[in-house]
Amino acid sequence: MTEASTMIAVKDLRKSIRNGPRTVDILKGISFTVPHGQFVAIMGSSGSGKSTLLGLLAGLDTPSSGEVRLNGTAISYLPEDKLAKVRGKTVGFVFQSYQLVPTLTALENVLLPYELNAEDASGHEGLQRARELLASVGLSDRLDHYPVQLSGGEQQRVALARAFILRPPIVLADEPTGNLDTTNGAHVLELLLHLNRTLGTTLVLVTHDPVLAGYADRRIVLRDGAVISDAVQEPVSFTVAE
Amino acid sequence: MASLSLRSAVKIASRELRFSRGKFFFVVLSVAIGVAALTGVRGFSSSFRAALLDRARSIMAADLSARMFQQPTPEEQKGLDAIAAESVEMTPVTEMLSMASSARTLDPLLVSLKAVDPTLYPFYGEVQLQPAGSLRDVLKNDTVVVADDLLVRLHLNLGDSLKIGNRIFRIAAVVVNEPDRLSGNFAAGPRVFISREGLDASGLLAPGSHAGQRYLFKVPKPKDGTPISEKAVANLKERLEKLLPESQVIDYRETNPALTQGLDRATSLLSLMSLVALVLGAVGVAMAMRAHLEQRLDTIAIMKSLGAGSTEIIRIYLLQTLLLGLIGGILGVVCGALVQMAFPYFLGRLLGVPTAVHLQLRTVLTGLGAGILTTLLFTLPPLLDIRSVRPILILRRAVDESADPFLTALRKKLKDNLSQIAAIVLILTGLAAIATTLSDSATVGKVFSVGLVTVLAVLLAACALLLAGLRRFLAKTRLRLPSAVRHGLANLYRPGNPSAALLAAVGLGVMQILSVFLIQKAVVHELHLSSAPNLPNVFLIDITSKEIAGVEKLLKLQPSVTAAPELLPIVSSRIVAIDGVPATRATLKNFPRRMLRSISLTSFTAPPEGTTITEGAWWSAQEAKPEVAIAQRQAERLGVHVGSKVTFAAQDSEIVATVVALIKSDGQHTFSRAEFILPPKVLNGLPVVWYGGVHSDPSRVGELQRALYRSFPTVTVINVAQALETVRSVVIQITYVIQFLAAFSVFAGIVILASAVAGTRYRRVREVVVLKTLGATRVRIATVFSIEFAVLGLVAGIVGVTFANIVARVLLGRMSIPFHLPWIWDALALIATALATVATGWAASFRVLGQKPLEVLREE
Repeated sequence: MTEASTMIAVKDLRKSIRNGPRTVDILKGISFTVPHGQFVAIMGSSGSGKSTLLGLLAGLDTPSSGEVRLNGTAISYLPEDKLAKVRGKTVGFVFQSYQLVPTLTALENVLLPYELNAEDASGHEGLQRARELLASVGLSDRLDHYPVQLSGGEQQRVALARAFILRPPIVLADEPTGNLDTTNGAHVLELLLHLNRTLGTTLVLVTHDPVLAGYADRRIVLRDGAVISDAVQEPVSFTVAE
Repeated sequence: MASLSLRSAVKIASRELRFSRGKFFFVVLSVAIGVAALTGVRGFSSSFRAALLDRARSIMAADLSARMFQQPTPEEQKGLDAIAAESVEMTPVTEMLSMASSARTLDPLLVSLKAVDPTLYPFYGEVQLQPAGSLRDVLKNDTVVVADDLLVRLHLNLGDSLKIGNRIFRIAAVVVNEPDRLSGNFAAGPRVFISREGLDASGLLAPGSHAGQRYLFKVPKPKDGTPISEKAVANLKERLEKLLPESQVIDYRETNPALTQGLDRATSLLSLMSLVALVLGAVGVAMAMRAHLEQRLDTIAIMKSLGAGSTEIIRIYLLQTLLLGLIGGILGVVCGALVQMAFPYFLGRLLGVPTAVHLQLRTVLTGLGAGILTTLLFTLPPLLDIRSVRPILILRRAVDESADPFLTALRKKLKDNLSQIAAIVLILTGLAAIATTLSDSATVGKVFSVGLVTVLAVLLAACALLLAGLRRFLAKTRLRLPSAVRHGLANLYRPGNPSAALLAAVGLGVMQILSVFLIQKAVVHELHLSSAPNLPNVFLIDITSKEIAGVEKLLKLQPSVTAAPELLPIVSSRIVAIDGVPATRATLKNFPRRMLRSISLTSFTAPPEGTTITEGAWWSAQEAKPEVAIAQRQAERLGVHVGSKVTFAAQDSEIVATVVALIKSDGQHTFSRAEFILPPKVLNGLPVVWYGGVHSDPSRVGELQRALYRSFPTVTVINVAQALETVRSVVIQITYVIQFLAAFSVFAGIVILASAVAGTRYRRVREVVVLKTLGATRVRIATVFSIEFAVLGLVAGIVGVTFANIVARVLLGRMSIPFHLPWIWDALALIATALATVATGWAASFRVLGQKPLEVLREE
């Protein structure tokens, strides 16, 4: 693996928070690198530090110490607005609870990162791509629906489309199927893997579901804020159960 | 670098407005009520003031009057002509004493002649005649109009002839009341109106004759139909004072102290009410916007995680704020205009003043501008908070608490919040600027701005302290407290609960409402005193020492006299020297030198009724040393102060009196004539005449005049009952309007505060749901909330009431009105605040209580 092909580099990452008089160490010095195009599953029980790690990878929070590099850029200590721009262009997000903007329609939600980050925000390209993406996740008839008018599975598919609109090199997903039933979960996962493979995106997925983790190229397991195992694996091939 | 287009920002902003109409309703309501109160109160009070000032003008018959003691010099005449050339109308009124006699009996009688040009006089108001008619029609070159006491004394009737000088005039009418009665000469003898031509023809106005001349001036009305500005009058006054240094120039506001004070106090109070309306609206907006932005934290975090910068997000919410300010502002201006139109309708019966309401563009723009500006100013801190929203919120709702020592934490907090502090400074400066622009009274503007800054700072500190104290109490006692109480109190400290901000907002609101109420009460009380129905309205002059006992007895026996007579001994004197400098060389300020030759000394053992000491101290009852108490106004003109020595002429000797006190009279009593008071023993043995004042039923003054004339024909009676009734009615109108507007302000304030409290209900939804899921009943939840709201209300009430008393005390002090601690009102306000907070909290949370947990949990 060459340095140039490294998409994510994490070096001695630590995070502690103050809770009254106590200091709680959530992450205790984590280091790993993820090459371009790899699908990494991060596993661990509740409270192991998975979500905190994901948040730090995305620059959603500042580490207590250590460093995160995305596509060669050290992001951890960038000023707020600069960080927002790097994040917008480099990272796509899929959250367990969808996190759509409730006052925007499905189409507008997908278009939002484009409007915020694309160089040519006024062009029709974004709109067309948003429509295509929504069509590819099977929602071409739901373009003008608001989040409350969509089912959970549909909302997560909108979130997927949104994550991919800027063709980000990295997609981070936090329990993307956690709130969905089996069928909807499988559909969302299929779409995620499809987009990951066709677009060559680096995918980091946080889950506590071993089945879901089985589809990944590599599995990192956390316990009490430390990596207890990090192994490359042969991914299970994915089929949607009808 | 790419950023969110304005169109997209507007889209997101307006979409949110549409989606959360309920939440924004409170924001718009707060702005609208604030602006409506501001526009309504301000607009109406300016119309009302214009109407009142018009009536005040009619009490002087002009905008300005200049009393001259000699004919104008050619230089002065040139200046007067120049003024007349600028469309300022001008008419002379000549007043002089003369003998008049019945053409039949030739019995002579000393009368006071008043020569006017009936085509111009009076500029304002009208001369009431009996039989009814206009002065212009009845006062001709060969007629006179006389006071009824002349008819009594000379046994004449209407239509009879009266000889004045070397001409015979026909008595055409009886004068009942004239506009400038209070500013005219209170000379001896019945009044006789004569035309200027008539006076010239009588041959009385020979060079050297003792005539007093007054010039009346009328400032031209602006062409746009707006009332004559007070500035235009003040400018002309300044010019006249410079042009005629030996004359006494007064404007229409100075004719009667009750009127002047009434107008000044009304102006101050109305200004205060406008400002209070403004700040209350702003408080409502700030609370509602804060609650709204807190609701939006998730959306903000999502947008940040998608690459939006703080600036772009702030832009969205700034647009939203502007839009809300604009909607609220427009709505407020419309309501304000309606209120302004409705006021005269409601007050019509009470007032009887035709209040011309014209919606001024300036008032509308001020209202709108103030609405948008205060909304923006007050949303600035929550808007700036957007910068500190961390996108990690989406993943983890951990509250990172600080465990640093207090001072370190405080320093850190101050450093982190530099822009917030700058925003607060900006808000206060902005508000002070608005207040100063809006306020018609500079005093109120200044006190208000300084007060607001101090009060806000102290309020926040007091609230924080009280909350900290309560927390300590809770920590010590919590396990012994019933669980509902414990939970209710603990709610005050729930993370993200803006208890201190809400406390400060409610505290500020209570303070403002109660201040308006207390000041209004005190002002109205004072106005009632100054328009009391028992103040003297008939004056008696030239009562000799021999007659005084008899006059007093007669007055007490008269059924038309409703109050004890006020009697004042007068010793005629002149000022010989001031601090050893001969009077002829003394430096005087607006004091005609010839007046030094004719002053009245009087004596009292204690300050007479209606007189207050402004500087120095009164003498003891037994004092025999030559000491003098001088009216402050005269002291300023003469350039004397406590400790100065003034030499008075007393028959063949001189009295060198030390000034021991400066006094101020309320202008409502006969004693107000006493401007140089000495201890009785000092004036002992000097010739005295008495001056008296008595209150008589205005419709029965004639009766009193006849009775006095029968027993004491040499005593002159001056009847100002009608003129004083006019003043009294104007002052009473002022009190009605003040009370009405204060009630309106208080009501608007309560609605705004209620909406601020209600605005916090969205915060509670999640909590209610969790509690319900855990099995809490509605009663239990309502109890917990009631305790929380009651404590909030009580704490805010304590702080608000305390500050209201301080503010009222300071402002009333500035208006020279005594302040008495209103225990009962304070207690009532405290209880009412707690009750109102609980009631509002309940009313607002009612729907929240009924919410199905699943609805909310699904949205999570």
